[in-house]
This record gives sequence, structure tokens and C-alpha cells, in this order.
Amino acid sequence: MSALPIADFHVVRAHARKKAREHRGMLLVMLSLYSLAAIAGLVAPLIIGKITTLATTHRLHDHEITVLVTQMLAASLLYTLFSFLARRRSYILGEKIFAELREEFLHSVLALPLVEVERAGTGDLLSRTTNDIEALARTVRFAVPEWLVAIIQAVLTLVAMVLVSPIVSLAGLVSLPVLFFSTRYYLKYATPGYLRERASYATLSGTVAETTEGARTVDAHRLAERQKKRVDGNLRESFYSEMYTLLMRMNWFPAVESAFSLSVAATLGWGGWLALNHDVSIGAATTIVLYVVQINDPLDRIIAWLDELQMGQSSFARLIGVSVVKDERPTFSVEPHNEVITVRDVRYAYREGYDVLHGVDLVITPGERLAIVGPSGAGKSTLGRLIAGIDAPRTGAVMVGNVPLAAMPLDMLRRHVALVTQEHHIFIGTVRENLALARPSATLPDVEAALEAVDAIDWVRALPDGVNTELGTTGFAITPAQAQQLALARLVLADPHTLVLDEATALLDPRAARHLERSLSAVLQGRTVVAIAHRLHTAHDADRVAVVMDGTIVELGGHDELLAKNGEYAALWRSWRNETTSAS
Amino acid sequence: MFTLPYRELPLADPGTPDATSGSGYLRWLAKKQWKTLSAAVLFGVGWMLAQALLWSAIGEAIDTGINNHHPSRLLFWVLIVLVLGIVQAICGTLRHQLSVENWMYATYRSVQLVGRHVALAGLAVTDDIPAGDVVNTVAADVMRVGGAFDVIARFIGAIVAWIVVSFILLSTSVTLGLVVLLGVPFLALFTAPLMKPLHASQAAQREAAGRLAALGADTVAGLRILRGIGGESVFFDNYRVQSQRVRFAGNRIAAPQAGLESGQILLPALLVAVVTYIGARDIVAGTLQPGQLVAFFGYTSFLTTPLRTAIEWVISSTRALVGARKVLAILAITPLVHETKNPRVWPEHISVYADEVSGLRIEHGSFIALVTETPTEATQLTDRLGRFVNDVHGVTLDGVPLDAYSLDDTRQHILVSEIEPRLFSGILRDELMPHGVSSLEAMNEALEAASALDVLDALDGGLDAIVEERGRSFSGGQRQRLALVRALLSKADLLVLVEPTSAVDAHTEGRIAERLRNYRSGRTTLVATTSPLVLEHVDTVAVVREGRVVASNTHEALFREQSWYRNLILRGGDA
Repeated sequence: MSALPIADFHVVRAHARKKAREHRGMLLVMLSLYSLAAIAGLVAPLIIGKITTLATTHRLHDHEITVLVTQMLAASLLYTLFSFLARRRSYILGEKIFAELREEFLHSVLALPLVEVERAGTGDLLSRTTNDIEALARTVRFAVPEWLVAIIQAVLTLVAMVLVSPIVSLAGLVSLPVLFFSTRYYLKYATPGYLRERASYATLSGTVAETTEGARTVDAHRLAERQKKRVDGNLRESFYSEMYTLLMRMNWFPAVESAFSLSVAATLGWGGWLALNHDVSIGAATTIVLYVVQINDPLDRIIAWLDELQMGQSSFARLIGVSVVKDERPTFSVEPHNEVITVRDVRYAYREGYDVLHGVDLVITPGERLAIVGPSGAGKSTLGRLIAGIDAPRTGAVMVGNVPLAAMPLDMLRRHVALVTQEHHIFIGTVRENLALARPSATLPDVEAALEAVDAIDWVRALPDGVNTELGTTGFAITPAQAQQLALARLVLADPHTLVLDEATALLDPRAARHLERSLSAVLQGRTVVAIAHRLHTAHDADRVAVVMDGTIVELGGHDELLAKNGEYAALWRSWRNETTSAS
Repeated sequence: MFTLPYRELPLADPGTPDATSGSGYLRWLAKKQWKTLSAAVLFGVGWMLAQALLWSAIGEAIDTGINNHHPSRLLFWVLIVLVLGIVQAICGTLRHQLSVENWMYATYRSVQLVGRHVALAGLAVTDDIPAGDVVNTVAADVMRVGGAFDVIARFIGAIVAWIVVSFILLSTSVTLGLVVLLGVPFLALFTAPLMKPLHASQAAQREAAGRLAALGADTVAGLRILRGIGGESVFFDNYRVQSQRVRFAGNRIAAPQAGLESGQILLPALLVAVVTYIGARDIVAGTLQPGQLVAFFGYTSFLTTPLRTAIEWVISSTRALVGARKVLAILAITPLVHETKNPRVWPEHISVYADEVSGLRIEHGSFIALVTETPTEATQLTDRLGRFVNDVHGVTLDGVPLDAYSLDDTRQHILVSEIEPRLFSGILRDELMPHGVSSLEAMNEALEAASALDVLDALDGGLDAIVEERGRSFSGGQRQRLALVRALLSKADLLVLVEPTSAVDAHTEGRIAERLRNYRSGRTTLVATTSPLVLEHVDTVAVVREGRVVASNTHEALFREQSWYRNLILRGGDA
């Protein structure tokens, strides 16, 4: 299992900048609207200050009051209007960017090199597709806009303070060092805590999922008590990680809140002192105090969203990490001149120094049916993967018509050979969509012909909407055997000249498997078939049988030929149906 | 660092909830944690009041300190501002701690209840509710239940702050007092209608987003196929269509969301303007001091916070009710099989296990195979033998009905291993022996019998290796063999294995069949299978057609004499 990469900080930053550049126009409009809103929001304290000055100098009259309050109202209306426009735009922009990000992510996922997909497994990708996208949703929709708004508000309030009275504003700065250092400390220790918290809830979901899906096993093996304890154990881990981040906040909050009231008290005292000495007007002092109280809110939001932003960044890094993987398939598009598959002195290792194939030679002629048998771990599946062109051998070559399979562009490879595994996946979508993925240009008659070929047309027609019935996790449920039939129908549509079947029917009930193999052999007449066989009747039907043991082909030949040879294969066959000969 | 003492979670016993209704459940939870709830309310009130009273101090500083030229008064009120700030910091921090605790108590208690119930009645649960929904309840719904308990302290604090502010205003100006006392609920009523369109469009987006997530997960799950035989562009287009749907559903939220937020700016601003106007005229009339006007302005602006909190409360309590109903829906499901009242003591020795309905008889010490025409028939029979269904009429142990014994005893002595047994995440050793200690020797014997030693060899750490969730890092064949090891190690008196070797290759299958018999000698084993490699190693094959045992003989004899049996075994006879 090799994990998929996570983008580093520079890639993340470059990516974020690129996004910002792409939407420069919309961003600019949005930021301007937010600024206008923030400016309108600064008017009310100014007017209160004015009223205070007028009142203390006994120059306040009804006429001024009407004018000032009207101005205040107008400013509030503008504040509301601009806020509405700015927020609406920012949500729309957020949705747009978020949609782009997830689509770009899925695009990268769908372009992952075949070998990477086979190797990395789907667990990590799945969690990126669901958990990280969800985490990013919060960041893009709320954290980033809220944070930008807060910064604009804070900066503009600061500007207003300086414009009203630079000297009084000085006192408002006392909170900044406290905020800066306490927040830096907090973020350093809290963010890993939040990541641990998130992981602990994922584990909890996993335990509940396992318990629910494996209910029968839980019951049969009396595991209820144990699973209960596991849920409790997961909760304990969640609890401790929650308590850790809580304690971090319990250290941080008092510092932040005290810093805020310290700045209010300092401004009030300092501004009052200056006003007492007639260095500034009482109104200016009042306005600055109101501004300091007011600026605490955006400052609070700036620092409160930081941890969310940090976590969003880590999800973002995991999402764009997938796009860092480049398909290193060398692609020289030379069309092979025939369909003969040649395996020449092939060696392969998953770990350096541990070859699982030790020099395999094999020529597969077009139309041949070759069965590969042998014990588990002998290298059957690896050989199959190489013949299917998914990976290149360490040394030696696997070629079709003298063109190395692993060097073919994917589109071309698919026209030559396909690998069919025991995994049969039915996608969310109609029966037709499920089949047409193998050939997007397929017409309805093509699809029906493919279904007919695999003996599935009758039950498909009997579905509520026939070939247009929605299948998959959210649609109509079909049996595993039916799913396998659809998987075979896909192959009929894909129409490669060679098929590699790896345990394709092993997970099914053996009775169903035999039925499938019959329809398969009828359908795939004329194709080259390499079947990695679990069941020996597959071998019996094959033109040739390759017995693989410890990474080499120890026997190769027709069924009868190998029986006559009385070697490994013959021993196996006898034990499989020792009485058959007398019966048939 | 200062914290209040807290109770450790998870709870030893989550208790028995009031399951009559969603609100009943929430009330039950509240009762269970009334102490932390009350304490949180107390600090919530203190926190809100300190914020409100700050304005009194500022007003006094302006009036008595600056306007009346009293530097010492100014200093006094500045100190009061500091003290209020400290009170606010302390109350706010402790309130936060208690809110998190309240959230956790409600959430964790619900998780424990659901977790326990799923462990006990899982089979019945998945009959009614898809496994994905159960997981979603634990991942999301319980958090919503907890959410209401988080907000409540701030909500009550908000109400108290509003009343206190109103009375402070009333004591100086009846008009201003009434404006605020009545104005705030009036504003709240005005804000409420703004939330309706928002909720509707949010629900629409959540649904679209849920579908998108499912589509994404589905694409990833089938990625091998998409990359193997093509169709990426089709699936990418599907995803993009749904993604754009989510986006446009999100755009529809933009206006109501922005409306709600700007409404929360406008409505209090109107109140502020009214208060400022009345207050300024009072100054001219000589009934109000300038500093008092500043304080009134401050109070009214501050009341935005309680207003927001009230809105948050409405949202979170609505969600909590929905969450509570989801939790109760799971808890309401009763186990499929009812426990026996006054069970008999499990006998020391059982000579014959019998099913009178099918006529199947399994004698002690025998190694029998069950062959049926369809897999369903086999499962129906084995489910009855293992009492996985309620109706086990006719199943007897030495003539005593199976359901005369306790379910727990039955599970302990009769193990039915289904066709695709699950593995769970954990240390491999514990997963193979979930009920504890077997000797290393016994472990090796079982591994040998199930031909699973090679699985172990390939693992870093051998028996100490970690099994991933659902055992997904193993191949189907490896999973099946490990599950077989687990079944063998259970040492059940009667072991029923359903197609235990369907996913392994012929070499291995033959080996397992051979060794299984020796491993189980002296105990009783029934294998439901049609694999000739297994059948040739059993004492007797019982063939069931249309629910009845129609033949019982050795595999050899049946194969020789019965052509339909031969056909059944050899895929319909076209070999």
C-alpha cells in the first residue's frame, strides 16, 4: 500500500493564488462591496461622538438631532444593503470556487495512473472524496469569506480611528501583543489537536459501520459486548482529544477576552484623560472607545477562524495532492501489427529485491483460451496484471504485436486487453449508463445486444424501467450474480481482443459462477482469454493450462497433455474429480 | 490554566431513555445532565451581563469622569471596566467549558445508546434502516442533538441580559425602556420569517450535496473499473452535472442567507436609531446625560448578540429534534430473535441435533455436508439450526426444542459461520480469538487447518498485524480463510460452515477440506457446500430438495448412483 501524496505548503499557496487570479474580477467587486459596507458601519459611533460633543458644549438642538439621526439611519440602510450584496456575492463566488475545486479533484482522481489505482486502494481516496471535500466546504463557504470580511472591517475601523484621533487610538493597540502571542501559541498546539479530534470521529464512524454491516458475524460470534466496548473506547479517544482542544481554548480565551477589555479600559482612560485636558474633544474620545469595542468583534473573528482555516488548508492539501500524481506511462502510439501476446523473460517485484516472478516466458496466440492455475501467492495475479498492461515488468517484456503493453496510451490499451477482477461494481446510474461507460457511443440496440449476449436481457427487461432503471447504492438493488453479468456485458461493449479474468467469479456462489462462465465462454468466442482460475473446470475448458508455482511456469500444455504428464496438474485434477471419469 | 472539574466520558451506563418522542428524549437527556446545564446557564448569564454592564461603566466614566471633570471618578470607572472584563473572561471561559461538556454528554450518551443497540440488534436494524443511515446518525445526527445543549446556556443568558438591560433603561427612561423591552421580541419575530426560505433552500442543498458525495464515493469505489475499461468522461460529466446542481442550490441559499445576516444588521440598527433619537431629545430636555446616551447606544447595539443567540437556538433546537427522532428510530428496533424466558441449562452432552421439518439429523462427532439446489435453501436451514430466526419449531437437541435454551448458550455452543463472514479492524490475534486465550499451539493448528499460514507470512508483524476496517487489505480468499480460522478457534460443539472455501483456489480448497476433518474430529460439523473437493472428505452428504432431506449417503455413492446429484455438483452435467 503506497499512500497518495499530500501537496506541500508551496503547492497549496500557489494553487490558492491561481484561484484568486482566476476570479480576480469577482473578488474585487466583492471586496469593494464589503469595504463599502464596513465604511457605512463606521458612521454610527461617529454620530454618537458628535452628539456627545454637542451635548457637552450645549449646542445640541432638535434640528441637529433630526439631521444626525437621519444620517445614522441612512448609513445603517447602506450598511445593510452593501452587506447584503457583498454576502450574496461572496456566497455565490464561494459556491463557484468550491464547485471548481471538487470537480478539479475528481478530474485528477479519474486521471490517476492505473498502477496507482491498483496499488493505493480506495480507502484513502474515499476519505478525500467525502471527508476532505466536506471539510473544505466549510472553509470555502464560511471561513474564508468571514475571515476576509473581518480583516476588512478591522483594517477600516483602524483607519477610521486614526482619522478621528491618532493620539487616542494609540491606547487601543495595547491588546495586539497579547492577542498575537497567545494566538500563535494556541494555533501551534491546538491544530494537531483538532486533526486528532477529527480522526477520532472517523474511527468511531468506522466502528459503527463495521458493527452494523457485520451484524450477522457480531451475533454469531457473540461480539456484541466487544463492539460495545470498542464504541466506548473510540468515544474515550474522542473525549480526550476534545478535552485537549478544550483545555487549549481555556488557556486562550481568557487571554483574548482580557486583552479586549484591557484595550477598552485603556482607551477610555487615555481618551478621557486627554479630553479632561482638552487635548481632544469628548466626542472624539467617545467615538474611539466605541470603535475599540466595535473592532473587538472582527479581531475576535479573525483569530477564531484561524484554526478552521488551518484545517481547511490540510484538507485542501490532500485534495490537490492527487493532482500532483502524474501518469508516467510513456506513450508512443505505435499500433501493434498483430494480436499475439508475448511474455519474454519477465521478472517483477513489489518490493525491491523480492521478485515474485522469476523469468516467465509465454506466447499467447489470438483466440486462445489460456488458464493459469496454481496455489495462492504463486504470482498468478501479478502475471495477469502484466499481461493486462497495467504495470511494466521489472525486466523482460510483455508485448502485443511487438508493442509493449505498458507503454500504450490507455485508450489504445483498452482496445486490446481488459482486466476483469472479482470486484464487480455497479455505479449509481441506469443500466444503460452502467454499460455504456465501456463504449460511450453505444446505441440502445448495442446495449441490448450486449445484455442478450450475457443472458441478462430477460431480467433487465423485467426491471421497473428496463434498461433505464436506476441502479447502484441509491437505486434498484440487484444480486451479485446480476451485477457480474452486467460487468460482463460491459466487456462485450468494450470489445478488446484479449481478456484477463482474475478470480472473476470466485466470490460468487459456485452454482451461479458456473452459469456465468458458460455465458462468458459463449460470448467471448474468438477472443483471447487468459483466465486465472480458482476452479478447475475453467482449466478443463481451456486450450492450454499454465501451472504457476513460486513465480515460474512449471507446466504448460493442454488439459489432456498435462494429465498424461502426471505432474502437478494431474494430481490436482484427480483430487478434484476423482470419480468423474468413471461416471461420464 | 483553570478549569472546572469534569466527568470522564464515556459513561459506564448510558441509561434507558424516554423513547416516546423526540422532545421526550431531549428532556430525558437534559434531566441526566441538569447540573452542568444549570452551571452553564449561570455562567452564561454572568457572561452576557458583564458585556451589557460594560456600557453602564463607560457611560458613567463619560458623565461623572470626563464631563464633570473628576479624574478620580474616571479612574474608578476605568477600573470597573477592567473588572467587568475579567468577570466576562472568566464567566465566558467557564461557560464555554460547560457548553462543550453539555454538548459532549448529550452527544456521547446518544452514541453509546445507538452503538449498544446496533451491537445487540444489528441484524434487525439493517433490515429496517440502511447501514449508511445508521453510520450517518452516529456521525451527524447525534452531534445535532448535542448542539441544542451547547447553545442553551447562551440562550438563557441572552434572555436574562435582555430583561436586565430593559430594566436599566426603564429606570432612567420609561419610553426607552419600553422601546427595548418590546422592540427586541418584535425584531426576533421579524427575523423568524427570514429563516424559513433559508431552511428550505438549505435542505435542498444538503440533499443535492448528499447525492454528490454519494456519486463521488461511488466513482472512487469503481475507479479500477473506470480506469480499466473506460468511462471516465461519462462519470466526470455526471459528477459535474450534480456538482453544478449543488452549486446552484447553493446560489439559491445566497440571497436568504445574506438576507438573514443583513436583517440582523438592519433591525437592531433601526432600534439604535430610535433609541438615539429619543435619547438625544432627552438630553436637550435635560433629563438625560450624554454618557447615558452612549451607554444606551451601547446596550442597544449589544442586544444584537442576544438576538443572534436566539436565532441560533431556534435553529439548533429544531435540528436537535430531528436528530433525536433519528436516534429513537434506531433504538425502537427490537432484536430479531427473542430471548427465552426461564431457559434450560445447556446439557453436558448432545447426541443428536435434528431438524424435524427437513428431516436433517446430525449425530455427535459426525462431519456432514449439506447439499441444496439453491443457496437460499441452505441458508434457511442453517439459520434455523443456529437460531438466527425466531421460528425454530422442529429443531431439537436430543429431543429438546432449541428455543428452550438461552440464546447466549446457543451462540456459545453452536456456531453458524455465514457465507461471507466479516472481519473487524483490530489486532489480528484478537480478531481470530475474540474471546481470548488459546495457546499459540492451538492457533497454529487452526491456521494450518484453514491453510492460512501463508496469509500470516505476508503480514508485517504476523499475528500482531493490524487488520484494517472490514479487513479490506486482504483479498477475498484471505479474508475467507481468516474467518475460517476464527470459526475453528471458537471450538463450538456444533460448527456450521456455509461455503467456507468459495473464494479460495482449488489447491488450497483441497488442502483445507482434508485438514478440516482431522481438526474437527470428536466434535460435530456441518458444511453447506457443493464443492466436490470438500464433499469427498465428509462422512455423509445430506441432500435437500424442496425443503426435505431426500438422500443421505457418501459423496462417492451419491455421485455414482444419482445423476441429478452429479449434475448439481458438476455445473449441470455439460463437463
